[in-house]
Amino acid sequence: MTRLRAIREIMSMVQKDDLVVVSTGYLCRDVYKVADRPGNFYMCGSMGNAFGIGLGLALFTKRKVLVISGDGAALMNLGSLVLSNYFKLPNLIHYIIDNGSYASTGGQITCSQVFDFSQFYNTVHIQIDKDEPPCPRIALSAEQIKKRFMREISKE
Amino acid sequence: MKKSLYQQFKAEGFNFFIGVPCSGLKDFIKEAQDDRDNIYIPVPREDTAVAIAVGSYFTGKKPLVFMQNSGLGNVVNITTSLLQPYRIPIHFLISVRKKPFEHEFMYKITKKLIKVLGWYNNIFLIEAKDD
Repeated sequence: MTRLRAIREIMSMVQKDDLVVVSTGYLCRDVYKVADRPGNFYMCGSMGNAFGIGLGLALFTKRKVLVISGDGAALMNLGSLVLSNYFKLPNLIHYIIDNGSYASTGGQITCSQVFDFSQFYNTVHIQIDKDEPPCPRIALSAEQIKKRFMREISKE
Repeated sequence: MKKSLYQQFKAEGFNFFIGVPCSGLKDFIKEAQDDRDNIYIPVPREDTAVAIAVGSYFTGKKPLVFMQNSGLGNVVNITTSLLQPYRIPIHFLISVRKKPFEHEFMYKITKKLIKVLGWYNNIFLIEAKDD
């Protein structure tokens, strides 16, 4: 599995009303390139906090919320992932794209190989064995990303 | 009868209370926990509380994030790289500890740090009693 193929597969399952939160790194650029839509929130900074945002959304909307994180970001804030088992929300699903590295900072290794992400509720761990080069940067400002995302949610 | 701190925030329209406990906010947190209109979450870290608050804000909630000033360090990155660039107005209630020694340095820099982070419009500070 490659990073972009994993993204394409996840995004092909996304329904019109679903919300998608994408974590820091190449993943934001990948999702923007493959399947940009107003219901995507690109969290370009604040590494490790995508799941928290997704949880806040899933608690207060009936919509399905998908969070896409890398292994480095997921490992950075494992404590937040414990809340997936605390709530066991049926409308929140976390995809962890695991290439075993911090790809956007030069491919340094992470410690994901010794950790079992399957202990978290509704969490899909996707092992990447071959990585592609990054997609271009997102051509939207942070405020544009936020405004169209909030407009999309308010349509509910 | 005087309204409790919690009731005062509710009267201001806040409808989701989330954070990491401080002894200085014991009574406040008890009310947040007992309030049937609030979803109380045992959050392991301050930045996670902010992230959940942001998600709730996107759905139209008015969240308040509470914490001890010792937790300020844990929210610097989410403030500079999420709240600031995306212009997300999250409000904070911070309990300020002065002593014992592990609190002294943070006590000295708390107000400066808040100013540097650009938070001064949406922050409420209360002095915690030293116990």
